[in-house]
Amino acid sequence: MKQAFLLGNGAMALGLLEAGCQVLTSYPGTPSSEILPETVRFSKAADLNTVIEWSVNEKVAFDNAFAAAISGKRAACCMKMVGLNVAADSFMSAAYIGNIGGFVVISCDDPGPHSSQTEQDSRFMARIAKVPVLDPASPQEARAMIKAAFDISEEFQVPVLVRPAIRICHARQNISYEELKSNLTPAVFTREPTRWASTPKFRFLQHKALNEKHVKIAEKFNTLVPYNRHTIQPEQTFALGIVVGGVPSAVVEDLFAEFNRDDIPMLKLGAPYPFPENLANQFMDACDRVLVIEETDTVIEYMLRDRHKTWGRLTGHVPMEGELVPEKILALVNQALSESGLPPLSTTDTATQAFALTASLDLPIRKPTLCPGCPHRASFYAIRKAVPKAIYPSDIGCYTLGSNLGGVDTVLDMGAGITMASGFWHAFQQDGKAKPIIATMGDSTFFHSGTTGLINAVYNDARFVLVILDNGITAMTGMQPAITQGARVDGRKGNAIALETIVKGCGVDYLQVVDPYDVDHTIAEIKKAHEWALSPEGGIAVIISRHPCVIGLRDQALPQIFEVEITDECDDCGLCHLRFECPAMVRNPDKKKTEINPVLCSGCGVCLNICPKNAVQTVS
Amino acid sequence: MKTCNFVLSGLGGQGILFMTKILAQTALNKGYNILGAETHGMAQRGGSVVSHLKIGDAGSSLIRAGAGDFLISMDAAEAYRFLPWVRPGGMVFVNGSNDRFPDERVTPFLAEHHITCFAMEAGKTALELGAPRSTNLAMVAFFSAFGQGPLEAEALRTTVEAASPDSVKQINLKIFDVCHDEGRKLC
Repeated sequence: MKQAFLLGNGAMALGLLEAGCQVLTSYPGTPSSEILPETVRFSKAADLNTVIEWSVNEKVAFDNAFAAAISGKRAACCMKMVGLNVAADSFMSAAYIGNIGGFVVISCDDPGPHSSQTEQDSRFMARIAKVPVLDPASPQEARAMIKAAFDISEEFQVPVLVRPAIRICHARQNISYEELKSNLTPAVFTREPTRWASTPKFRFLQHKALNEKHVKIAEKFNTLVPYNRHTIQPEQTFALGIVVGGVPSAVVEDLFAEFNRDDIPMLKLGAPYPFPENLANQFMDACDRVLVIEETDTVIEYMLRDRHKTWGRLTGHVPMEGELVPEKILALVNQALSESGLPPLSTTDTATQAFALTASLDLPIRKPTLCPGCPHRASFYAIRKAVPKAIYPSDIGCYTLGSNLGGVDTVLDMGAGITMASGFWHAFQQDGKAKPIIATMGDSTFFHSGTTGLINAVYNDARFVLVILDNGITAMTGMQPAITQGARVDGRKGNAIALETIVKGCGVDYLQVVDPYDVDHTIAEIKKAHEWALSPEGGIAVIISRHPCVIGLRDQALPQIFEVEITDECDDCGLCHLRFECPAMVRNPDKKKTEINPVLCSGCGVCLNICPKNAVQTVS
Repeated sequence: MKTCNFVLSGLGGQGILFMTKILAQTALNKGYNILGAETHGMAQRGGSVVSHLKIGDAGSSLIRAGAGDFLISMDAAEAYRFLPWVRPGGMVFVNGSNDRFPDERVTPFLAEHHITCFAMEAGKTALELGAPRSTNLAMVAFFSAFGQGPLEAEALRTTVEAASPDSVKQINLKIFDVCHDEGRKLC
C-alpha cells in the first residue's frame, strides 16, 4: 500500500490506470492539465506500457483514443470543458457508433470561471450527445468513478463522460493505492462498415439502439450506490429535501455534519444522466419541496418533472452564474429552510460583515499579469509601437494578458486570433477601408486551431500581420512541451515541426523571424510587414516572434542577466509600470519615481529600450 | 469530526503551494487525512493566490468564509482580503510590521469577533539570513511558535528539513529557528 498527497487530477490519473486504461490522450487546459502528466508519472513508476500523448487539439485527442477503444482497448481522453466544444463533432458521432473497449471522456468544468472563457456545464454536452455522465464530489470519488465509467462504457458499448469541476481537479487529498498492473488486452479491429463507417440509414438504427441503451442505463442509475442515493425510508415525509450533484453534494454533506443536522433528506445524483427517474420520484414524493444545488447549470433541475415542488436557479433560489462556494451554499440552504418553516443551519454570519469591511479598504486590485521578463511583453510593446492604431485580435494563452498592454482587443476562442483578423479585414474592406490589423497567437494555439484560419485568410485574400508568439512551450497550462521542440510527454523523442514550414505551407509568402528582446528590430520588422500587407502586391504577413519562456525555459531565455537601475532622469511618467507593465518596476510614491524590485526582476534587460527619458540603465 | 482549517494567502510566486505542502505533509506524518484547494492557471500569474487546507475528515475542499481557524498571509493586503474566511476566535499571522498591522479600520471587527493578529517581518528576516524565497517557511515557523492546532513546531521543522534541497537546508532551518523564536516573544 502506498500513500500520496495528490491533486484531484493525480487521483484521476491513478483511477485511469487502476481501471486498466491503455491509451490516454489530451490537450492541456486549466483545470484538466495535470491529469495526463500525472498518468505518465504513475505509469512510469509502475513500468506500465500505457500509450500517453499530448495531442495537437482536443478533437485529435478524442479521435485517437476512440480508435483504440473500437479496437477493444480501454482508452480515455481528457480536456477542459471548452476543449469538449472542439471535440464535439466526434463526441456526438461516437455516441451513436459506440465502442468495444471502455471509452471514457473526462471534461473538466470551471465554475467561477477561474481560468476559462465560459462557465458551461459539460453535463449538458453529455445530454446533447446522449452520453451517460458521472459527476464526482471529491478527488477520491472521481478516481472511483473513472473505474465505474469504464465498466458502464464496456457493458453498454457507449462512451461515458466524467465531469469533474475545478474543485476536484485542483483539490489535493491524501490517497492510498496498491501496485498498478498493465492491461495487456490486444488491439483487434473487426471490419464492420455498417457500424464504424455507417451511412445515414444505419445512423438511424444506431440512434434507436442508443435510445434503447439509455433505458437500461437509467435503470442501472436508479440503484448506482453510492453515486446515486437518498436517505428517505418508505412512508416518511419532509417539508424540504435537497437534491445535489458533484462538488455541492460534498459541501452540503459537510455542512449537515458541521451543524449536526440529520433531519433534512438529501438526494445525491452523481450519475444524473440518463436520469434515474424512479429514484428521483421516490424522493420527490416524500418531500413537499426540493431545493436543487448543482454546478453550473440546470441539468438536474430541468429533468425533475414536478416544477411546482422544485426550487433552484429557475425560481431564483440559486444564483444563475458563478461558483457555488460553501458560504453561498450555506446561505441558500438557510434561505430554503426558512421558507419551509424549518430552523436554519446557522444563525451567525461574520463573513458578510467581513466582506463589506474588506470591500471598504480599497485593497490593491491584483489582475493577472505577464511574468517579469516574459517575451510576450516585449512583443506587445513592439506591436503597439509599430502600428498604434490597429485592431489587435488575439487568442488564448498567457498572451491574453497582453490586454494589460493594450495589445489585445478580442479573445473569442482557440484560433480566433486569425479568423477574426480576416473577418475584420473583409468587414472594413466592404466599406472601402484598409483597416490596420495586427493579430497575435501563441505557438501551441497556432498548431491547435491556427492553420485552418490562416489557409482561409490567404485563400480569401485578407490582409493583416500575424505575429506568432513562439516561446517554445505551452506555458499557461503548466509548461507542456511544444511541437516545435519535438519532445513528447513521456520523455521520448517525437518529430519536431517547424512553424516556418507550416506557415509557408499555408500559402504565406511574407515571413520574418525576430527575437522580441531585440525591441528596436522587432518594431522595425512589424512596421515593414504591415506596410507590405497593405501594399497592392501584399497579403498576409507573418512574423514569428521567437524567444523562450522565461519560466519554463529560463536558462535559454536569459543567457545574459542585466542588472538594471533607475537613474534620476526618471520623471515619473509611469510608462514602464503602467503601459509596459513590468511587475518588477514599481512606483515609489515618496520619491515620485520608479524603482526596480530586485526580487521580481528577471534581468531580461528589455526595459533598457523602453524609457522615453532613458532613465533605465545597467548598474555599472 | 471537526476539521482544522488553514487559509494561506499571498501573491503568485511567493510559494503559497509549497507552504501548503509543508503543513499537509506534517499532518500526513501525524496520520491525519487532509483535503485542500489550490489556485492554478491564469489566476496564478501575478494575482492574489489563496490555498485552503483542511486537516481531518472532510468531503469538500473549500473552507467556508467564516470557518477558517488560521489565516497565514505572506502580505498584509492579502491578509485583509481573506479576513472574511477567519472564524470568530480564529487567528491571523501576517508577514508585515507589527506597527502597521492590523489597520485601525479592522480592529473593531477583530475585537468584536475575538480574532487575534500577529505580525512579523518574516520577509525581511529571510532576506537578512540570505534566502528571501524562504519567507514562506519563515511564516510557518512564526505560526508554529504559538502552539495552536494539531501541528507542533518540532514536527513542522522536521518536514521543512526533509523538504528543503541540500543547498538551502541549513539556511532554511536557521530561518525556521529564528522566526520561531520571534514568535515565542509574542506569545
